[in-house]
Amino acid sequence: MTANITNRKSNSLDWFDTFWKKQGSNIIPPVLGILGFLLIWQLFSSSGLTKLPGPLSIWTDERTRTLLLYPFYDLGGLDKGLFWQTLASLGRVAQGYSLAALIGISVGILVGTQPLINKALDPLFQFLRMVAPLAWVPIALVALQQNQPAAIFVIFITSVWPILINTAEGVRQIPDDYNNVAKVLQLSRKEYYLNILLPAALPYIFTGLRIAIGLAWLAIIAAEIVMSGIVGIGFFIWDAYQQNYVSEIILAVVYIGTVGLLLDRAVAYLQKVIAPTEQK
Amino acid sequence: MSIFVAVDQVDKVFPLTDGGEYVALKGIDLKIKKGEFVSFIGHSGCGKSTLLNMIAGLSLPTEGVITLEGQRIKRPGPDRMVVFQNYSLLPWRTVQENIALAVNSVMKDLPKAERQAIIDHHIDMVGLRPHADKPPAMLSGGQKQRVAIARALAIRPKLLLLDEPFGALDALTRGNLQEQLMKICEEHQVTVIMVTHDVDEAVLLSDRIIMLTNGPGSQIGQILDVDIPRPRKRMEVVEHPTYYVLRSEIIYFLNQQKRIKKLRAKKISVVSRHGLEKVNLDMGFVPLTACAPLAIAKEKGLFQKHGLDEVNLVRETSWRGIVDGITGGYLDAAQMPSGMPFWLTLGGHQNKLLPVVSAMTMTRNGNAITLDKRFYDQGIHTLNDFKKMLLGSPERQHRMGLVHPSSMHNLLLRYWLAAGGIDPDRDLSLQGIPPAQMIVDLQKGTIDGFCVGEPWNTRAAMERVGFTVATDLEIWSGHPGKVLGVRENWATAYPNTHIALVKALLEASQYCADPANEQEVRQIIAQREYLSTDMAYIQLGSASEPVCELDQPMREYAHHLFFGDGVNRPSRTEHLWHMTQLARWGHTPFPRNWVEIMERVCRVSVFSTAARELGILDVKYTTGSIQMFDGAVFTADDPISYLNNLQIKRDFSITDVILDSPRLAGAA
Repeated sequence: MTANITNRKSNSLDWFDTFWKKQGSNIIPPVLGILGFLLIWQLFSSSGLTKLPGPLSIWTDERTRTLLLYPFYDLGGLDKGLFWQTLASLGRVAQGYSLAALIGISVGILVGTQPLINKALDPLFQFLRMVAPLAWVPIALVALQQNQPAAIFVIFITSVWPILINTAEGVRQIPDDYNNVAKVLQLSRKEYYLNILLPAALPYIFTGLRIAIGLAWLAIIAAEIVMSGIVGIGFFIWDAYQQNYVSEIILAVVYIGTVGLLLDRAVAYLQKVIAPTEQK
Repeated sequence: MSIFVAVDQVDKVFPLTDGGEYVALKGIDLKIKKGEFVSFIGHSGCGKSTLLNMIAGLSLPTEGVITLEGQRIKRPGPDRMVVFQNYSLLPWRTVQENIALAVNSVMKDLPKAERQAIIDHHIDMVGLRPHADKPPAMLSGGQKQRVAIARALAIRPKLLLLDEPFGALDALTRGNLQEQLMKICEEHQVTVIMVTHDVDEAVLLSDRIIMLTNGPGSQIGQILDVDIPRPRKRMEVVEHPTYYVLRSEIIYFLNQQKRIKKLRAKKISVVSRHGLEKVNLDMGFVPLTACAPLAIAKEKGLFQKHGLDEVNLVRETSWRGIVDGITGGYLDAAQMPSGMPFWLTLGGHQNKLLPVVSAMTMTRNGNAITLDKRFYDQGIHTLNDFKKMLLGSPERQHRMGLVHPSSMHNLLLRYWLAAGGIDPDRDLSLQGIPPAQMIVDLQKGTIDGFCVGEPWNTRAAMERVGFTVATDLEIWSGHPGKVLGVRENWATAYPNTHIALVKALLEASQYCADPANEQEVRQIIAQREYLSTDMAYIQLGSASEPVCELDQPMREYAHHLFFGDGVNRPSRTEHLWHMTQLARWGHTPFPRNWVEIMERVCRVSVFSTAARELGILDVKYTTGSIQMFDGAVFTADDPISYLNNLQIKRDFSITDVILDSPRLAGAA
């Protein structure tokens, strides 16, 4: 019995050893970097050089500690844990981003395959692309009257451009060889789209999608800050600022950064699964 | 077999970004039979891929029509499957899926199981069963190409189009794939068009090789039929007697295209000086002992002496080069075989009449007939022995080499054979081979003998690969060997230059003929820029030396005549003899108006003026009859009945040859 236990223990230790040997060099530098950054920040705020609380305030401030320890509480109305706030924002992003992906890819294919349409629409796209997400908020509010659809629209309008432009470029960059194969085989339109166009443009489309997810996440925070009275991490920050709970803002920022990182990794993972880069 | 693919007067013009246009192909005419394997070869940018794409329907001709089985090609289709240069496999599909895409989309009507069977069959055919489920990225270049070929064949195209299919492969893989392709094509009787720039590949695989000239405005320069029997093996085709002929023909063509490109880029200007219309001349020659007058005129400054300051000697390896240089207009003058002026004038080259004039005979003699040494060992020492051997072994095709149809070698050899009762076309096969290649071919056994100018007969004897069975001294002593030839319009445009050229060459001939200069002349022409050979092989000799001895040592010396009584003045009787012989063997028609043609070609007046100005007045002219070795006497009296009375001859035609009236070179 005891022998068994020690065996298991040493097994898990072995596993940890090999993992550490392999990944240690990948883990230590970023951990050191982050710790160093937090240390300097803490020193700055403790020394009184800035009014910004240090990272330790997340724990020392009582309100913030509650938020940190209970992300799932829900007291109704706007008083919800950070998990729910983030989830609400994510929900909006999911809707706006999906819409952007759908419309961006379809219009991108259309523009990429039809040079005439491309000529007609390109200036318009380049013009709209340059408008900052925040500038869309009042327009969206006026046009749609309600917070929720307006927020989704802002996400859509911000994230659609990289998808659209990259898709169009991907379609245009399809090697003549593939198109010639399609021509010689006289593939039907459907077969061509499914077997040649989409797979060939996929790497470009994913580049667009990856840029877009970051933009969408940026946009939702900006949009929610302006749209008062909704559940969402953006409005949470605005609310905390109004009441001067600065350490709460810091905690929210940590949430935002982490979610942004995870979103990017998720799309990257999807890309790896669907469109492996080893293809030429 | 009927015409399968027809390309009819096709032009292809591409618009340029600056608003101009680029004419890629001009006036392409081509007919391809069912089951044929045709290659397009040419330099990069000659439009061979463009032509292939038009047959595929991927682009359309600007002018003209391309048809497949009588149907106009307007768009691409699976009946004309293309194997692209870079394979064009879809990287996101496995080998099996790539082939399946083609089969499933083209053969929709077949039941699924049958389609799968076709896919499997073709994967097995190219031996990729173990790799069927791998994506192309995991395959080697050769394997990818095999997938592309399998994909193309799987949909049973009527026509297979290959765009440099093996260009990116290493030599070993290429060789294997070529053999596989040949096997598959023979089994399935596929009609194939292949674009390539690999000469050996073209010869190995093709039934016909279409050679395209350089762009802009590329045309079909020449079409070669490859008569090597199938099935062919890569290692065996090189043994076939015509392999190297075809190969050198293609290489010659490609080199010629390169030169033409260079010449196009060069600014052509006429420099006139010293009262001469043109002093910058490009003059062609073939490295033979007979080029001595040219070499001497150049080395001893005789061209300059007569005001021709910038004479550039252009070394051609074969008489083809001279013909192309003169017809193409990039040679001003050339050393020509004595029959060439008439041959060109009467349309011997591509049936186009090109008036060429000759004002001087540069050398006489210097030719001989060499046979393989094994005949000597078999006791075949005379023409009669040779005839007996030929008639005694009809099962074997005997071949002899000659340098050019218009050359004295061809005419002498044929005369010699015919005089011995041998039909040179029926009992033998005569092949055009560049002079320098004769000995190599004789050694390899691809030819049984040859008739060529020195130093090649001497060299064959000295290297003990052949023996001289007859020299020109026996056949026709003092026959004209090489003459000076220029285009008639050139002679009209630059009359004084023409005279100066004859003067320089006449003086050089005189120098060559002087026995005191013999060593120096031999030394000069042995140099790199001329014959580039061992001096021992170069013998000028003299006619007084003994005729060929068949006893050891088996060698004979050339006996060139460069200067003397009746040597250099162009002789009408001799030229007429050439005309009759060219007609006799069907090379050119015999002109009914031969007297008129003779006056146009044979420029005695230019020679006389040159000789007079040099003060050479005491040289006698021989006129009248020619005494041949078989006892026949040729006179200028009645060439037509002479021709009719010959025993061995081809069906010759007698026509009125209407030449354009002489024009100035500038207007041409």
